[in-house]
Amino acid sequence: MTTTEASPDTVPEASAVTASPTDVGGRGLTGRQAKVLLRLLRVAYPHPRFPDAPYERTAKTVEDAGRTDDTLADGLDDLDARADGDFCSLDDDRATSLIAGVADTPFFALVHSTTVVALYDDHEVWDLLGYEGSSFDKGGYLHRGFDDLDWLPDPRIEEFDGPPRVELVDASGSRGADGSAS
Amino acid sequence: MRVFLDGQATTNGKRPSTQPKTATFGAQIAESDPTVVIIGSGAGGGTVAHELTRRGVPCVLLEAGPYLIGEDYENDEWAAFSQMAWLDMRTTSGTWRVARNFPNLPAWIVKAVGGTTTHWSGATPRFMQHEFAVNSVYGGIDGANLLDWPLTLEEMAPWYDQAEIAMGSTHRHGRPPLPANNNYKVFANGAERAGYRYYATGPYGTNAEPYDGRPASVQDGFNFQGDKSGAKWSTLVREIPRALDSGHCELRPNCHATRITHDASGKADGVEYLDADGNLHRQAARVVCVAGNSIESPRLLLLSASSQFPDGLANSSGQVGRNYMRHMTGSAYAQFDKPVRMYRGETMAGIIADEAKHDPSRGFAGGYYMETLSLGVPFYASFVDPGSWGRDFTGLMDGYERTAGMWIVGEDMPQESNRVTLNQDVKDAHGLPVPNVHFEDHPNDVAMREHGYAAADRIYSSVGALSVHHTPPYPSTHNLGTCRMSERPEDGVVDRWGKAHDVPNLFVSDGSVMTTGGAANPTLTIVALAMRQADHIADELKAGSL
Repeated sequence: MTTTEASPDTVPEASAVTASPTDVGGRGLTGRQAKVLLRLLRVAYPHPRFPDAPYERTAKTVEDAGRTDDTLADGLDDLDARADGDFCSLDDDRATSLIAGVADTPFFALVHSTTVVALYDDHEVWDLLGYEGSSFDKGGYLHRGFDDLDWLPDPRIEEFDGPPRVELVDASGSRGADGSAS
Repeated sequence: MRVFLDGQATTNGKRPSTQPKTATFGAQIAESDPTVVIIGSGAGGGTVAHELTRRGVPCVLLEAGPYLIGEDYENDEWAAFSQMAWLDMRTTSGTWRVARNFPNLPAWIVKAVGGTTTHWSGATPRFMQHEFAVNSVYGGIDGANLLDWPLTLEEMAPWYDQAEIAMGSTHRHGRPPLPANNNYKVFANGAERAGYRYYATGPYGTNAEPYDGRPASVQDGFNFQGDKSGAKWSTLVREIPRALDSGHCELRPNCHATRITHDASGKADGVEYLDADGNLHRQAARVVCVAGNSIESPRLLLLSASSQFPDGLANSSGQVGRNYMRHMTGSAYAQFDKPVRMYRGETMAGIIADEAKHDPSRGFAGGYYMETLSLGVPFYASFVDPGSWGRDFTGLMDGYERTAGMWIVGEDMPQESNRVTLNQDVKDAHGLPVPNVHFEDHPNDVAMREHGYAAADRIYSSVGALSVHHTPPYPSTHNLGTCRMSERPEDGVVDRWGKAHDVPNLFVSDGSVMTTGGAANPTLTIVALAMRQADHIADELKAGSL
């Protein structure tokens, strides 16, 4: 599977998550660009209770994914330019509006397709969101709360023992072009 | 190198821990020996291999993917996706959102021994009686290429019984139900309060208690990543080990079929395939069964065009690749103020069947099921609202632990223009044209989806949901209809046995034979059809008519 620039939300290469970042060459980001990227991620994917560390790891992954050409670096410079020189000084609402203006660009497609995988594949993020990850190695959830929801009554698990379901209510009637009954 | 297996069928498939990619398994069958060649080892192909070999009929089972077993699987969504998913290049077109969001991933299916049964979720409803005859029952629907099946539920019933027994469907044939997990508690209480009655934790093809040599579920929550325990039925853990133990089956993993050849009389006489090293082989064939799922099966028939069959093998009707169906689907994720932890436990062990009916008063034809569904955080992020970012998106993520989920799955309308074709502009790793999948919703599909979303809203609101998010269809997991079954040769590709109308010893053995899709998750029906087909092939071979 490959990504296409024209599509802002292609599932990224799964290797973006698993590949070693040490085997990529090419151009890295300047300190300024890295700072803008981190701010971009915090604004576009706002989780106030997340610390910086998962965003920093994600930014590194985005940087590695963007090394093949100038799309990422140029896009980050463009954010600063659109913010009269300092994207990082904008408040959240103004920064969000500015990002919306570049949301259809190959630059943001690269940032989004990488971030939506990398940020939410981060195990610290899993902990923050209450997802427990691998479970078979712990015996599954059979004795670890697969049914510990206690704010609703225990429902029936057997099939309904009353009359069988009616499967065919009305076999008549022709239909129009919109699929609705005429 | 040949690797031989012995002993009884195990719960997890069998395979030495180290193996060259070119290893084959089970019996040794010479490439020059005209045998039954089965292409694909999933629900259809794996079942045909087992049913024929247990009757003593030798088979070569070609599988494009690797031989993965339980211990190989990863309880990690992206790692498992990289390991198992069919990621060969494909293209898309049409108005479906998948073409925009996931242009090279029209379908989310598996490339490995056991095929997509190794990551199926497990729901096993049967087709309803009228779903075999929707052209007659629904009447004409503009733009829909409806056709009655050349089969009835009555004829399929004994095969459904056999398939349910093989798969160990809960709630059937004495198999107990699975217990209620957290996601089901929300789903079923909501169903009851919304006035629905026909809900349960099944039927579902995963053991609630040990059965057929397989253990009970440990409720680990990983289904789409391969089931490490073997509690879930798949051809990997049941049919393929038994076929190999029969001494009549040779399994060749990492072998991708590229062409079916035929003799001057128009009978199939061989299958060309590429092995793991890219070397071309030709297996002589007496019978060929194509079971590559509904994108690769028509692709292979189209790739097998010859001077005698210029439009592709078995395609005199022009229907090969057409009528591609993917079921009407959608998902609903509801947030609550208290924890749900939907990811714990069997993913789809919850079914509401009340809307699985044909009731024209709802404004659309056909029906749908609602079934529990959960994604882990990684896949929830990518699929809950593809392309979304900002506060709305992170609001969905922040509520993950307090979220319950369901899938809506129903009958979609076959349309001639929804179609798998060869994309001559894009070539795969072997230089062959990749399949293009063109799809557009029919207005009936749209109306049914909206009805389903509204039903989900009622269900979750009745148990206190703070919000319900409507998620669009994922890349297709149910791929159907591209080699459809028909009474008359001009209407479809195969006959009531799955045999090609045009080629007397060529069978299609997967979900692409479905004339129409019904509302039911298709695996049970694919297995039942494959059992019935294998019985027919064995009889014909015995009678000398194949």
